[in-house]
Amino acid sequence: MSDTPALVLKNVTKKYGTHLALDNLSLTIPRGVICGFIGPNGAGKTTAFSVISGFVQPSSGSVNILGTGAFDPYILKGRFGVLPQDAELSDRHTPFELLVHLARLDGMSVAPARDEANRLLSLVRLRDRPNDRISGLSHGMRRRVAVASALLGSPELVLLDEPMAGLDPVQAASLRDSLKQLAGVQTLVVSSHNLYELERLCDWVVMLDAGRLIAEGSMSEVTGESERLEWELSPGDVPLDALRIALPEDVFNQEGQVLSHSTSANLDESTIVVMRLLAESNIAIRGLRRGVGLEERFIRETHAHGAT
Amino acid sequence: MTLLGALRDIFIVAQFEVLRAIRTWRAMALFFLYAIAASGAAYIFTQVVLAIENGLAKQLGVPETQVAGAMLTELMSSDTFRSLLEGMVGSEAAVEHVLNVPVLAVFNLWFSFALIPFFAASASAESVSIDLRSRSLRFEALRTGRMELILGRYVGQLVLTGIASMLSIFGVFAVGMWFMRGNDPVVLMGWLFWLTLRAWFFSMPFAGVGVAASQLTTSPAWARVMAVGITAGSWLLYGFANWMSANEYPIIADLLFQILPQGWMHQLWEPTAWILPAIVCSVLGPVAVLVGFIRFAGRDL
Repeated sequence: MSDTPALVLKNVTKKYGTHLALDNLSLTIPRGVICGFIGPNGAGKTTAFSVISGFVQPSSGSVNILGTGAFDPYILKGRFGVLPQDAELSDRHTPFELLVHLARLDGMSVAPARDEANRLLSLVRLRDRPNDRISGLSHGMRRRVAVASALLGSPELVLLDEPMAGLDPVQAASLRDSLKQLAGVQTLVVSSHNLYELERLCDWVVMLDAGRLIAEGSMSEVTGESERLEWELSPGDVPLDALRIALPEDVFNQEGQVLSHSTSANLDESTIVVMRLLAESNIAIRGLRRGVGLEERFIRETHAHGAT
Repeated sequence: MTLLGALRDIFIVAQFEVLRAIRTWRAMALFFLYAIAASGAAYIFTQVVLAIENGLAKQLGVPETQVAGAMLTELMSSDTFRSLLEGMVGSEAAVEHVLNVPVLAVFNLWFSFALIPFFAASASAESVSIDLRSRSLRFEALRTGRMELILGRYVGQLVLTGIASMLSIFGVFAVGMWFMRGNDPVVLMGWLFWLTLRAWFFSMPFAGVGVAASQLTTSPAWARVMAVGITAGSWLLYGFANWMSANEYPIIADLLFQILPQGWMHQLWEPTAWILPAIVCSVLGPVAVLVGFIRFAGRDL
């Protein structure tokens, strides 16, 4: 796999009249990751996707897709897939016809295009309805056809804007599993409001707010997975003093029976010490959570940026 | 992108456009209306011919006929009919040619010249705007250039206009066989096909106008109003050019005759010289498309 990042945005700004949808946005997404693209409503996620995909022209700044420069359908033919959030499928066709048509535009000849359409209809579990008119499919089914269109030809980079929107929990789980299988092979950028879902799916995160980047990095970096633990403990006196003496570099805070613990040293070694001291004080561990969680970090970041 | 690659994409988009249009009731309704209009006009024409023939029969003191075409040979040599034909085809030279053509096929081409511009412009006006509104154009725009996308839609519309005009032949043919005497079926069908091909070439600039209008707006209704309005305007401009030609403004008139498809219309009646206006019309179509593309190339999808 090439060392060139899958996607680089540099100082991208997009204005709609006086409204600033993207404000000097710069970000880098490495190859092979599944990247969560996160932000509150109006953060600029869909605009960013549209600018990257060439649907919308940026007011300024540059986009580099797979090291080839800005979006060019000829250069990126078959290498770049997008699920646009608010684009409807041409509903007079069947899913099979539409996918074959799009696969042919991706450069495939008829027979491979048919095979690819069948493969993707299986992947999104629509193998039993390939010849129904799209107009007769439910919203969730249409969404799955659109997801299939983005994955046609196994492109190197795929942008999925709200792929789970309108799917029931079973369909969403199934799609999530399908997408997880692509990790490391393809680069996926997934936008969603469901942060719990993204936390389970993604290994890279980009957070936007008001058109600006507020955080980016690996999931473990962003959620502080390597440096923070929350211990849910049984009733009893938590040996806070003993913990602070044993681990003077670490920070401990207690709220009720929840002990939060941050360290800049080796978390595994600290954990062993904490467990020993808790056991010596006859305190049982009822639960343990690593990191702050994507949702908490997201809320913290958006509040922090909202306050500035 | 190579030229072959671009042509391949245009072909794929055009193929899909035809399939899509055939599946909509609007396209089918337009096909039907076009066929009804052409057949209805052909029937009315047979009744006009019948009236002229019976007038001629009175003059000659022979019994009147119940079916048009009974006195066609006499009619062809009458001044009334020749002046009618001259009005239709525009020149004395062309009259000599069309006198050898089944009169119903001649009428069908004349009627097509009036009808097909509006049909082509109206049908094509939906080709892009409807997908701009639903943003479904994005799925294709990811995979091919905007130029290929638009030209593919245009070619698809030309195919549809061709299908509609060729299907209408059958209605006119039926009128010719049932309501007019003296038509040899093979000759009539052959000429209907041959002259309708010329009408199809004439439709190309107007299909281009429709596709151009369709690129300018996300409202199919507004695109149709623009396309039909521009088509009607082109006829007014053609009338104006004729007036200027007759009133000592020949340079401006000549310029308008060059750029208006109607300026080439009369040459489409010629036995061999119709090739040149057919080529001109097939160039004017993409030129019209490109005028809309200037806006479309940079617009947000």
